[in-house]
Amino acid sequence: MSEQAATPAPAAAARPTDKGESLLLRHVAAFFESPLAVIGLAGLVVLVILALAASFIAPQNPYDLAQLDIMDGTLPPGSESLAGYTYWLGTDEQGRDLLSAILYGLRISLGVGAISVVIACAVGASVGVIAAYAGGRIDNFVMRVVDLQLSFPAILVALVLLAVFGRGVDKVIIALVIVQWAYYARTVRGSALVERRRDYIEAARCLALPKNRIVFRHLLPNCLPPLIVVATVQVAHAIALESTLSFLGVGVPVTEPSLGMLIAKGYDYLLSGKYWISTFPGIALVAAIVAINLVGDRLRDVLNPRLSR
Amino acid sequence: MKKLKPAAYALLPLAVAMAQPAAAQDTKELKVGVASEATSIDPHFHNVGQNNALRRHIFESLIATDANQKLLPALAESWKAVDDTTWEIKLRPDVKFSNGEAFTARDYVYTMCRVPLVENSPSSFTVFTRGIESIETPDPLTIRVKTATPQPLFPNNMTTLGILSAAVFGAGDVKYGKDGCENMGTPPKSSDFNDPAKAVGTGPFKLKEYTRGTHIILEANEGYWGEKPVWQRVVMRPITSAGPRVAALLAGDVDMIENPPIQDFDKIKGAGFTLVEGLSNRIIYIHLDQFEDKTPGVKGTDKNPFKDVRVREALSKAINREAIVERIMGGVAQAAGELLPYPLFGTTKDAKPVAYDPEASKKLLAEAGYPNGFELTIGTPNDRYINDEKVAQAVAQMFTRVGIKTNIDAMTASTFFSRRNKHEFSAYLAGWGADSGEMSNSLNALVVTPNKDTGGGHTNRGRYSNAEVDALVMEAQRTIDDAKREELLQKASKIAMDDYALLPLHFEVTPWAFKKTLSYTPRVDQYTLVTEVKPAQ
Repeated sequence: MSEQAATPAPAAAARPTDKGESLLLRHVAAFFESPLAVIGLAGLVVLVILALAASFIAPQNPYDLAQLDIMDGTLPPGSESLAGYTYWLGTDEQGRDLLSAILYGLRISLGVGAISVVIACAVGASVGVIAAYAGGRIDNFVMRVVDLQLSFPAILVALVLLAVFGRGVDKVIIALVIVQWAYYARTVRGSALVERRRDYIEAARCLALPKNRIVFRHLLPNCLPPLIVVATVQVAHAIALESTLSFLGVGVPVTEPSLGMLIAKGYDYLLSGKYWISTFPGIALVAAIVAINLVGDRLRDVLNPRLSR
Repeated sequence: MKKLKPAAYALLPLAVAMAQPAAAQDTKELKVGVASEATSIDPHFHNVGQNNALRRHIFESLIATDANQKLLPALAESWKAVDDTTWEIKLRPDVKFSNGEAFTARDYVYTMCRVPLVENSPSSFTVFTRGIESIETPDPLTIRVKTATPQPLFPNNMTTLGILSAAVFGAGDVKYGKDGCENMGTPPKSSDFNDPAKAVGTGPFKLKEYTRGTHIILEANEGYWGEKPVWQRVVMRPITSAGPRVAALLAGDVDMIENPPIQDFDKIKGAGFTLVEGLSNRIIYIHLDQFEDKTPGVKGTDKNPFKDVRVREALSKAINREAIVERIMGGVAQAAGELLPYPLFGTTKDAKPVAYDPEASKKLLAEAGYPNGFELTIGTPNDRYINDEKVAQAVAQMFTRVGIKTNIDAMTASTFFSRRNKHEFSAYLAGWGADSGEMSNSLNALVVTPNKDTGGGHTNRGRYSNAEVDALVMEAQRTIDDAKREELLQKASKIAMDDYALLPLHFEVTPWAFKKTLSYTPRVDQYTLVTEVKPAQ
């Protein structure tokens, strides 16, 4: 994220009124003024580290069936396994250590969220900025496609796509990209329409720079601030959507549960008092989404010129 | 459901409290929450469990079955094979339909004529009438049926066909013909039976009201020939999701439910309800592709490993069936060593489940040339059998432990069955309920070499083939003598099991839950028969 946030700065330096370095620093400083955002960011960093380090810190590899023992199934938190170690958060019905499964599940959820957003962002932003710069028929056509796409509920489109593709992490990512690119296209087009009338674009045209250079080197970087805000919030959406799909049983394979699938597994047992199978993955999922949303909200406040003091 | 105003919600507990009957069970009305709704009142429309169960209340058959699928006289007092291809049936005298008409041999002939005329049947009953060559009725209470080939299962077939009243549909003196009958009047359409005036049978109950998706109401048939039903009025409410079904029972909306989920047993018992469980005739098994030389779901070897009996044995020994029963099924299942549970017809008492022995399994795999195992994908439905996807995962876990890295491809039942029928799986988990409750049905479906002409092996999608088994099953299907036939079936079953034709996992156990004031005897056929629901002693 930080890399992306850094990119608009040099481009922004082209504007006569802004001082590049100080703008970025101002934004960073403004971000840290909100304690809630800092908590969100800290939580997010911790979760990302936990997810990345899952294979080193998790007591068990929950995706390696040879490590599971069905005789350890549905044990409450704190129980001891047959092999002698403790299941701090209990196990699911296959004898999967929930702590390990949550760490690995976080990795899938955050990974799917981030990757799908990056791809959707790249696709959507390119389409949006080209549409805005080209204008006319191309713009009209692209925006009608976007309208059409946005008029369907995301979950419905994703369900249909996965029903066609089948299960798998890669397929979930593809489905999420298809569902999400339109948001970015619309956002980028909006700001690009404003930016392309500015003097620096006119100047670039006068220098007879090639079109693709103007679009991708001059226009696009200056449309990034709103895009970053949308992307951050969309990561949370993507994670929620992936969990929903897995909960409904069309997302990831059953032997490699993500958080949503763990919650779905536990759902069967909720009435019978085995609360831990759903509860702990649920807490992890909520924590991840809340943290991302706190960061996203603050970014929106910081990057929105209308709210700046 | 209609939206209720918040104020109505506040009144709801009060209304429920007022509606609660006194503690002692009165016998006026019984409300049952059924797991799946009958697709039609027409007894010959769809050969599927919930329809067949409902049918037994309204339209009786010549022969009934008890809780263990043993044959009992119903509309037929007795039956015997005169020779290999002739069955003689004596009908019960003085039986009346619910509209007062007398039941005679004519109604039987009419029924046999009507079964093939049903339109758009999703699963037809004609398999039970197809072999009938001719029907003679020497007198109104005697029937002689000639079959094209010896049909030892003729009496079993007769348990599946509900008898209609010929008079209701304006039939005259019906004559049976193999290619069409005479004097049939206007044969009814399936939807005609939604009208209680047309849904006339000899059963202990008559149809009072049918509102699809909401309820079926039955009323006691006062003129019933047998033991009078305990209940005056029966309401069957389809509640297809398990959670709401349990909630309806706990809230007192229904008196009894089918198939409470295993996970909720403790809660149901804790709330003071009775739970009964009965072994079913449904086996859950894993079938292996034994036909293709290169099978699609296996990686890490160029051959099809399942053609080697040592690999099949290794897989069977790798499965800890007791652990699956105990952990995944919550003890509500029975580990299987054969295709039907003892003591059903054709089973052997000492057919024990294959013992769990991972060491022997690894050794067998090494002997067969797979010391490092291979990779396998098992196909499974995830909404068809009790905990199907979880069972498949547990099996994958056990296979992986002996070195066969196993993945699960889980999908909804309709997708699963169409992909399975196209032989897309190298290994799949499925279930088979033998509706006749005897071994020839299971063997013929799952083990006999697939053959379109004879209909043999129609569900043998692993395409196992063993000439010896085929010959024994074929002979059994021609043998009228029960003792001889059972011996043949036992032998065929033993050969198939010793050859690991498929890997039996467990028999499903069907649970019912109901108020403490009731009692119900679990049935092998998984039917909920209100006639068997009695006030508790």
